[in-house]
Amino acid sequence: MVEDLLFYAIDYARERGANYAEARYHKNISETIFSRNGMVLGVGKEVKEGIGIRVVVNGTLGFTAVNKLDRETIRDAIDKIIVQTRYLSKLMKDKIEFSEERLGRARYEVVPRKPFERYSIDDKIKFHKELWNIVSKVPRETRLNVLMIQYIESLEEKIVVNSDGAYVASRIPRLSIYYNLVLSHPQKGSIQRWEQLGASGGLEWFDEWKLYETLPRDVETYEKILLTAIEPPRDKVDVVIGSEIVGLIVHESCGHPSEADRILGREAAQAGKSFIKKDMIGEKIGTEYATVIDDPTIPGSYGFYLYDDEGVPARARYLYKEGLINEHLHNRWTAKIYGVNSNAAARAMDYRSEPIIRMANTYFKPGDYSFEELIEDIRHGVYMKSYMEWNIDDERWSQRYVGLEAYLIENGELKGFVRNPVLEITTKSFYSSIDAAGKELRFYAGTCGKGEPAQGVPVWFGGPDVRLRNIRLGVSV
Amino acid sequence: MAREELLGLGSKIVEKALKEGFDEAAILVRRVDETMVKLANSQPSVTQKWSEYYVSIYVTKNKRIFIIELRPRDLGVLDKPLKELFGYASRVEESMFYVPLPEPGKIEKLEGLVDKYMFDYLENPLRLAEASLEAAHRENIDYVAGTIDLWYVEKALVTSKGGEFYEDSTGYQMYLRAFSGEDGSGQWSACGTRVDVKAIEEASSMAAKYAVESRGRASVEPGKYDLILSPLVFGNLINLVARMASAFSIFMGMSIFMKKMPGDKVASEKLTVKDAPRYTELPYATSFDDEGIGTWDKPIIEKGVLKTILHNTKTAAKFGGKSTGNAGWIYPHPWNLVVEPGDYSFDELIGEVKRGILVTNNWYTRLQNYVEGIFSTISRDALFLIKDGEIVKPVEKIRIADKLPNLLNNVEGLGKETYNIKWWEVGIPTKLPYVLVRGINVSKHML
Repeated sequence: MVEDLLFYAIDYARERGANYAEARYHKNISETIFSRNGMVLGVGKEVKEGIGIRVVVNGTLGFTAVNKLDRETIRDAIDKIIVQTRYLSKLMKDKIEFSEERLGRARYEVVPRKPFERYSIDDKIKFHKELWNIVSKVPRETRLNVLMIQYIESLEEKIVVNSDGAYVASRIPRLSIYYNLVLSHPQKGSIQRWEQLGASGGLEWFDEWKLYETLPRDVETYEKILLTAIEPPRDKVDVVIGSEIVGLIVHESCGHPSEADRILGREAAQAGKSFIKKDMIGEKIGTEYATVIDDPTIPGSYGFYLYDDEGVPARARYLYKEGLINEHLHNRWTAKIYGVNSNAAARAMDYRSEPIIRMANTYFKPGDYSFEELIEDIRHGVYMKSYMEWNIDDERWSQRYVGLEAYLIENGELKGFVRNPVLEITTKSFYSSIDAAGKELRFYAGTCGKGEPAQGVPVWFGGPDVRLRNIRLGVSV
Repeated sequence: MAREELLGLGSKIVEKALKEGFDEAAILVRRVDETMVKLANSQPSVTQKWSEYYVSIYVTKNKRIFIIELRPRDLGVLDKPLKELFGYASRVEESMFYVPLPEPGKIEKLEGLVDKYMFDYLENPLRLAEASLEAAHRENIDYVAGTIDLWYVEKALVTSKGGEFYEDSTGYQMYLRAFSGEDGSGQWSACGTRVDVKAIEEASSMAAKYAVESRGRASVEPGKYDLILSPLVFGNLINLVARMASAFSIFMGMSIFMKKMPGDKVASEKLTVKDAPRYTELPYATSFDDEGIGTWDKPIIEKGVLKTILHNTKTAAKFGGKSTGNAGWIYPHPWNLVVEPGDYSFDELIGEVKRGILVTNNWYTRLQNYVEGIFSTISRDALFLIKDGEIVKPVEKIRIADKLPNLLNNVEGLGKETYNIKWWEVGIPTKLPYVLVRGINVSKHML
């Protein structure tokens, strides 16, 4: 029994001098079908299975992992990490301590409506071929050079136990689809779209995503953009930011800077620091509309979980609330420093990764405007619906988003396409320029990267469309 | 495990796969010992250690290709995925990439890939962490953060064509970021096959020096500038370009070389970039690729001309050509990169610039369009305004927002001193100098 090994690991680490010990059995299995222009290039399977072990020795944190699951291997790994951690503890100035928490003793599972086995491999391959057949016929004056599709079904199983009494077993299946398309024209150049779709559950998400319907429509739109888009206006205009970009913005400029480990400098050489400093709870960041929530417990979400990898029960976190910095993302280490309770943000990608503070599903709180109401009083403006290029500085202050599908707004109506409009703005300016939020909440999937070695974890980000006043857009090269 | 054990394990899996009914199998077994110390606020934030083995399995049946990646608890874990994939063999179509696995050829073994001193540091990295911290704190800085990562890797490749290859190597990467005052920060990196305490100390000092010099920044206007890009920055961008030279990137529509052929001019004649798997100073040096083809150093871009598209045997057959020893079973990739140095000293490079910016670090490079190479990247850490051939003051963050072809074509000068760089944003170990690029678009937030 793997549980026996986990308890053995904790007891052994404690015997060897660890003040705290945690052992996590973690198994990720996935199957991938990969195609280009309807032709399957290969089928892949991945199995990662092992135990990640974390210890605190002399107030210093150590992490090790094994993928040979027997007592001897575990003992050897623990002996080594305890010695190594003890050596390094000589350089330690601020000892690691964890907050007191009521830890879970629970077992939970996401039950898909349509398990992966419901469709055969033939059906899954057919999906690639049919999608290519439909989509490749759409362009009239341009050519669809490439439609790459990656279909991944995966299952993540975990058992987290620690010396403070946690026992949490979980089982989460996920479906993911990535695609990349390139559309080109001999004189007009090319346009490219890359997108990730993902959720927890099973094949029911196929019916939800309706790629057979959405992708041909999108390709038709991209052709029009390539052939007809004009430069965006140079003067100050009102801008409606589509939910896809709003989702990305809240992930980048609210979720990341609200990670308490960044604020405390733990990720300073990697993902960076934060413009939020330790004493900034309650400071103004935007208008009353600026409420951003990160909630791991949304059913069906890509970032779904009910207990984090330290065994703490999950809940919604109100990171920005009505324009104020309200709450950070915590694990038990940062919670102790802040004198608060952990809000269950510790996640690890796989058995060989330490749990660190991560987002789950981050979204901008919807308002009550319909899309028509958002644009009806805009005389001259731009609606940026989707993006390709973006980046943000390492303190999460200065950011840039380049629109892919973007429209001119004239007298309250959408009028034709604009090419690659650039929103380059600070975090405070963005949240302070919002004067209305749509009522329709949409989520988008992503794989968020952080840590060393880098860990990619599934997240959703989302929101409604929002309206910004008096924005000067840039122009891409 | 040692050589015989790893090869034995590979052979066992080949047998298992053939017994299951597959036509061919290639098995890559890697055993890794790795130690990593992460520093933050000038103390360890975590120390990590791994000792694991990875098994990658390539099997074919009737020209269908299947790949299994395993971090297995035991060999029994293999049975289920192998059976499942075999079940798919009649239902998946022939892969357009299929060619038979290559016949094993003679491999010229690389010497000097293992540093015996690495094993002590793998057990106790304290001295390296201390050396880095001490070197940085000799400058007037407040604190540092960074990573020291050390490894010993054994890899064995066994193929059903009778190929049996084994190699072991050591390596390290380190990077340190130093902070000084309200707004000063600097970063540098080092990497190598052999642990080099001096290189770690020098990189730590460079980070600290830039942190101190970048305090008290002024703002800078967006527009066109001549840029001096540090090895970290040009390394990040040239990693991206080198990956685009993979035949698979081209095939997938993720490359500026989609409409280019070897022989086409793609960069300034001053620029030469090599894939250097046999350059044993850099830590991903290897004598054979994942198909058992012997490696060799080759120019990707030579004096501005695209010379080599990187291939495995499959992409080579598809594109018409020969493997370049860069497999990846699916994705051919560069091993190490070397940018040929020029003949400028650092001061001479600065002296060439009338109005420009020295950018010492960047991250978050993203593309609007891979085919056109439209990208932006944001600076982090020290950057300095250059006027009339002199560094005049530290300035605030900017973005480089341009097209990769412009960047490559506008390379005007390269330093003569090179640095070995590998960190988060420069994933492929790269040896390169500071680089002067003329007339590049710089943007910043105006709201």
